[in-house]
Amino acid sequence: MEAESHPYRYDMVDARPGYIVVEHELKSKAMRAYFSPDPVAPVEGYREGNRIWQHTATAQSLRFSIRDTETGELTPFDELLGLAFYGSCPKGSEVWEIGDLAQENKVSIYVAVTGETADGKPAPLATEKLRVLNRYFNERLRSKEKKILILPDRFGLYREFSHGHIMVDLGLTAME
Amino acid sequence: MTIKELAEKLRLNPLNTLADRTVTGVYISDMVSDVIANAKPGNVLVTVQVHNNVIAAANLVDVSGIILTRGRTPADDMIALAEKAGIPVLVTDLNSWQVASMLFEAGLR
Repeated sequence: MEAESHPYRYDMVDARPGYIVVEHELKSKAMRAYFSPDPVAPVEGYREGNRIWQHTATAQSLRFSIRDTETGELTPFDELLGLAFYGSCPKGSEVWEIGDLAQENKVSIYVAVTGETADGKPAPLATEKLRVLNRYFNERLRSKEKKILILPDRFGLYREFSHGHIMVDLGLTAME
Repeated sequence: MTIKELAEKLRLNPLNTLADRTVTGVYISDMVSDVIANAKPGNVLVTVQVHNNVIAAANLVDVSGIILTRGRTPADDMIALAEKAGIPVLVTDLNSWQVASMLFEAGLR
């Protein structure tokens, strides 16, 4: 009767610590970010065809999956780079303005930011996955009037992440 | 025990409104992703970090409050954000270990 005694429907499982690594390409100055599960963050440059990628910044992060304890279904979030809170975004930005309005109504806005694909677009995150993520965090809230709303990245925040501006743990490891 | 009672007991200095929230336990971490993965709702978060992303993580997990140790002083932005999110922020000159010991003595696990 484990399901009956379980306080929540969704569990975070398979949490793997790692790093979000931001790198830049020497000639084109292109930037991108990816998750590294290595115990030590990679900092060495490398060649990819005729492009040379160099390390720019690193931030501690984690990867995880969400398990539905009722159905046993596992939802991995490998494409997720991080959750950007509206309040961590620049004041006056679209996200900040929407988030500030929502926060007055006890709704906290977060944006699910994914990596950038080779064609410069954000890696897709299925709406059904976002539903699961929203359910996971909301079912744990103790404040009755409070809600968490994790939105898809329709704001282009993946570019900021790729450029290392608003990563989840940016600056925290350096203890600046 | 509420966060208000805890603040009085440990002589912590509140930087914003002390909401009447029950403290269910303690989580000590200086890493945002670790807080998101492992802190429990109602925990009081003990940290030295004063970045806005600490509020982001604390709000997501719905902690009962944040204790900033070693006299760390957050920017006004962080306090304003915590206030909007209804998260009490308290500061102390004690280090995290000393605060942890006092929280343990106060009966929190």
